[in-house]
Amino acid sequence: MTLDFAMRWTEILLAIALIMPSVEHICAGGKERALFGLRLILCVLLLFPDISAYSAYICLAISGLAVLILHRFEGPYNGGSDRMSLLILFCLTLAHWLPRENWKELAFGYLGLQLTLSYFISGWVKIRNPDWRSGRALRDVFAFSAYPVAENLRGLADRKNFLLAGSWLVMVCELLFPFSLASKYTLIPFLVLAASFHLSNAMFFGLNRFVLAWIAAYPSILWLQDRFIGG
Amino acid sequence: MLRTVQLILPALIPSWNFFDVIAPSPRIEYQLLDKTDAPLCDWKAFRPRPEKLSLFTMMKRFIWNPHWNESLFLVSCAERLSQNITPEHSTREILTRLKRDLQAETDAPQFRFRVAFIHREDETLTQEILYTSAPEPLA
Repeated sequence: MTLDFAMRWTEILLAIALIMPSVEHICAGGKERALFGLRLILCVLLLFPDISAYSAYICLAISGLAVLILHRFEGPYNGGSDRMSLLILFCLTLAHWLPRENWKELAFGYLGLQLTLSYFISGWVKIRNPDWRSGRALRDVFAFSAYPVAENLRGLADRKNFLLAGSWLVMVCELLFPFSLASKYTLIPFLVLAASFHLSNAMFFGLNRFVLAWIAAYPSILWLQDRFIGG
Repeated sequence: MLRTVQLILPALIPSWNFFDVIAPSPRIEYQLLDKTDAPLCDWKAFRPRPEKLSLFTMMKRFIWNPHWNESLFLVSCAERLSQNITPEHSTREILTRLKRDLQAETDAPQFRFRVAFIHREDETLTQEILYTSAPEPLA
């Protein structure tokens, strides 16, 4: 996989990931409508093949808007998903504008590295917590956190063995993610598994923005694996 | 410029410590008031979640989920408010959305809101009120 090919796919997936949130903000009204309207137009432009020659300028413009949006909400609107979108956007923009090929690779490779860390560190901080190892933490997520999308899901907090198994499955998969880089034949199944995990979070906890934000970073890890490890 | 750097840095160097500890969870509640600031009702949950959702609705929300995403933003605002991080901004964001929702369903002249944090003590869930706003006109 070439760097240009991976960057182009990242642009397309990021544009898709940002389109619906932009529409959501436009429909909600408020002063930020102009910012998201402009972002929507730029994201749609980014999808057109003929425009790819100008994608460096478009990414730069979306980055500028992203800074204004950060100021508008005094931080990311939706925490982790917005942070991942911003990371992708800034790495892409840097990779476009840096003058030397190896600097471009460094900027784009940083995104792949951060994607790997996003899974590994999540697993590491959990396994160090006795509440996660006993299943208590996941029971608390269902019992009283703000995330379950319906009251009946809180009943899952009583299914101790199920949530203990779920906790360990999540922690082990997150911690094993870096090892999947050994080959594309291990990486691709892990990415499918990880996307399914994000999808289940979208259904149970309404974290729908995470799904496309994380998938948009997948070309960077596929490129990084191919570039430095191969096989 | 410094504020811009403060806002961008967590995105460039993320911590990725999702759900490392299950922290006390905020709930926004409101109370309608009359013109003399006297309560017209008990405290009510703002945007209570439905009893259950169909699989179709869950799938639909994968594509289109503005109401829930806004509610998650308000959870962030409530957390920031409790930590005294940009409290004016957080209060304004919560008030704006409360007003918009309440104006559509009540004629009460005023309201106020509070942020309750739920946490577990041994096997019992307990609630602690960490912030209560001043009365706010609804008109």
